[in-house]
Amino acid sequence: MQASEFLKDLRREIEHHPAVNHVFLMRVGTTPFTREDYRVFGLNHYPLVGTFCRYMEHLLLNAPDSDSKSWIAKVLVDEYGEGSDGEDHAQLYRKFLTACGVGPGEEDEEPLDPRVVEFIREHLRLVTEEPFLVGLGALGPGHEWAIPKMFVPIIDGLRRAGFDEREILYFTLHTLQDQDHGRWLEEALSIVVRTPEDAAQVRRGALLSMQARMRFWDGVQARVVRWRQPVHMWDIPERVRLWAARHQPTIAQVAPSLGVKLAAYRPQVRKYAGLEA
Amino acid sequence: MRILLVQPAPFEERRLGLENTVWRSEPVSLTSIAAMVPEHEVRILDMRCEKPSVLPEVLSGWQPDIVGTTAMTTDAYQAQAVLRLAKQIVPGALTLIGGHHCTLNTASYYVDWVDAAVLGEGELVFKEIVERWGRERSTRALEGLQGTDVRLPDGTRSKNGKAKNAPNLDHLPAPARHLVDRYRSQYFFLAAKPMASIFTSRGCSFDCNFCAIWEFYDRRTRFLSAEVIADRMAACEEPFIFLLDDNFMTRADRLEKLASELERRNIKKFFMTQGRSDFIAEHPELIARLAKVGLMGVLSGYETNDEKALEGLRKRNTLDNNIKAAKILKDNGVISTGIFMVRPEFDREDFAGLFEYIESLGVAIPLVTILTPLPGTEMWKKYREDLLTEDFRLFDLLHAVTPTKLPREEFYKEYVAWKRVGRTSMKAWFNRKTMLKRWDFYLRAAPNFPEMIWKRVRYQRIQFVPQSYLRDEAGIIRSNHSPRRPVDEVSLASK
Repeated sequence: MQASEFLKDLRREIEHHPAVNHVFLMRVGTTPFTREDYRVFGLNHYPLVGTFCRYMEHLLLNAPDSDSKSWIAKVLVDEYGEGSDGEDHAQLYRKFLTACGVGPGEEDEEPLDPRVVEFIREHLRLVTEEPFLVGLGALGPGHEWAIPKMFVPIIDGLRRAGFDEREILYFTLHTLQDQDHGRWLEEALSIVVRTPEDAAQVRRGALLSMQARMRFWDGVQARVVRWRQPVHMWDIPERVRLWAARHQPTIAQVAPSLGVKLAAYRPQVRKYAGLEA
Repeated sequence: MRILLVQPAPFEERRLGLENTVWRSEPVSLTSIAAMVPEHEVRILDMRCEKPSVLPEVLSGWQPDIVGTTAMTTDAYQAQAVLRLAKQIVPGALTLIGGHHCTLNTASYYVDWVDAAVLGEGELVFKEIVERWGRERSTRALEGLQGTDVRLPDGTRSKNGKAKNAPNLDHLPAPARHLVDRYRSQYFFLAAKPMASIFTSRGCSFDCNFCAIWEFYDRRTRFLSAEVIADRMAACEEPFIFLLDDNFMTRADRLEKLASELERRNIKKFFMTQGRSDFIAEHPELIARLAKVGLMGVLSGYETNDEKALEGLRKRNTLDNNIKAAKILKDNGVISTGIFMVRPEFDREDFAGLFEYIESLGVAIPLVTILTPLPGTEMWKKYREDLLTEDFRLFDLLHAVTPTKLPREEFYKEYVAWKRVGRTSMKAWFNRKTMLKRWDFYLRAAPNFPEMIWKRVRYQRIQFVPQSYLRDEAGIIRSNHSPRRPVDEVSLASK
């Protein structure tokens, strides 16, 4: 079993996946979306940012040996704020949300597109119920190889909309930091993938993550496009749909059922947002 | 060589736009250039009919050598997104953009992911591009090729002006319609579905200042011969055909010949097209004859109820012709779709006056748009500094991109009142007497009525709500004041 060959093929598969090359991302990269559009984008993307550490923590617990644990821990330390002046990624993202006009606490109360919640649920399932290598595939190749590529057009779009570098640090940092993470994970994967069965598990995890990501971008695109469209009072089916959408759970509501400790990062976020001294 | 041609998709269904309910035609520009390179493997993806994931899948799986797309103004960013994706997945492929928008506004495609823009008519240039790219996989190979604006490997540009038009349209091969076979059932004009699309001429000899067709084709019109048109109509399996000409109704002698040819060969198709009201008014017998051989609908720009404004738009037509044309079409059971324009400088009386005029005119389906200085037109050059935005998503003839005299909320409230006019016009036109004249058409289109009505009902709930327009503008248009002068002075139809 040639781990390096497998990883090369998998990397190519991820980088060419429709989720990484979602047409919505290309539109962000070429269309003059406004801050109002990015507000909707950000509110639906934020829950993924806030829950990522939780996936990693679960994966850390499942890791079979100390080598694997130390690779995962390295990534986690970065996610906690190492390399970004002690600000964790949720805090960095909050800066972006503030620049989009999101008020304090609004991010927790936004009814989410079901595909956003589905993404979180699927990843928690992958790192808790599936074998370790499936979870590793989802968070390693499925995230660290995908994100730098997905964020390039987003950064272009954000700059075009007039955000300054400080406001979009979350995104620029990830194009650099996740390349490092990707390399670390690649090293880790080359050690743990020893048999074709191992490889199949890693690939399965990566592709399941990609499928969830594809649906996630579909959901974000729908929100970004549709927020501009009002509904006529007699359009009953659409009003019902919208009523249902407004009653979709917020991240604050859904977090306990997912085992995500929102409170763990919320105080810092609140501090940034000016609620606490 | 593998060549992928892509028709971009609109942002998402159920936004403002005619494609939702009125009209979706075949991507004839793509089938036309595809026909020029039959020796190569060509695929066309119509993203209006595909799931978004199909494009990256095809790019990744098929690895094309050339990826081309086309854009009108409102598709400008979507086309860029297609090529950006292509460059990301297949970095070695040549990425090409063609069509009206890039010809008249080339600089908007000076980006890393567009290798070359094709300026003007595409067929002959495209063939040459494919040959050169086959010989050398570098944009250097395209340097100096007339009809292109090329990004060279060192980042500099080779700007080579507009393409020469093909001298005789009959000598160009028929569009490769088989490449869109799988989308056939999804092309329509109202209830006319499935609908084929062909062209019988290109260009327009008039020079209206809000239109860029004449600039694109250098104010010349070229025609296919009646025999070739009849061949192409006969080759269409669909019962309905849209003749996509910019102005079908010019030169009575050619239309007489076409009618004779269709009669002689007993070609029975229902066809729709675009034409000016002055021609219709001047040729009532010809219209009657065309109706007999299948003419079923005509889209005409009636534009306005104000002679002075017609003059200001350089329409070279009269209100009297509009009245005559609407009557002639109705007498022959030909569905007249009238396009009217409200102008940003309208006040309440102007809106009321226009709507009253539309009701009195007796067109079957009025469509009311907002006068927009489209890139490439004279109006664009004249009013560019007054624009409130250059975000091309709003250049869809449904948004006011220059200052409105009324506050914008009131402007759109008045604008959407054309719903009432549309309803009364349709009620008055589609009566038993008129419909019986062309019963065979209605019988053929009847199975599509439920779908059309359902789409229409759903779309109207967006179309006739002022907030649809205001929310589209949110963050894009932040002020209703011209950057350079008072609103009263920004009159788009002034001479």
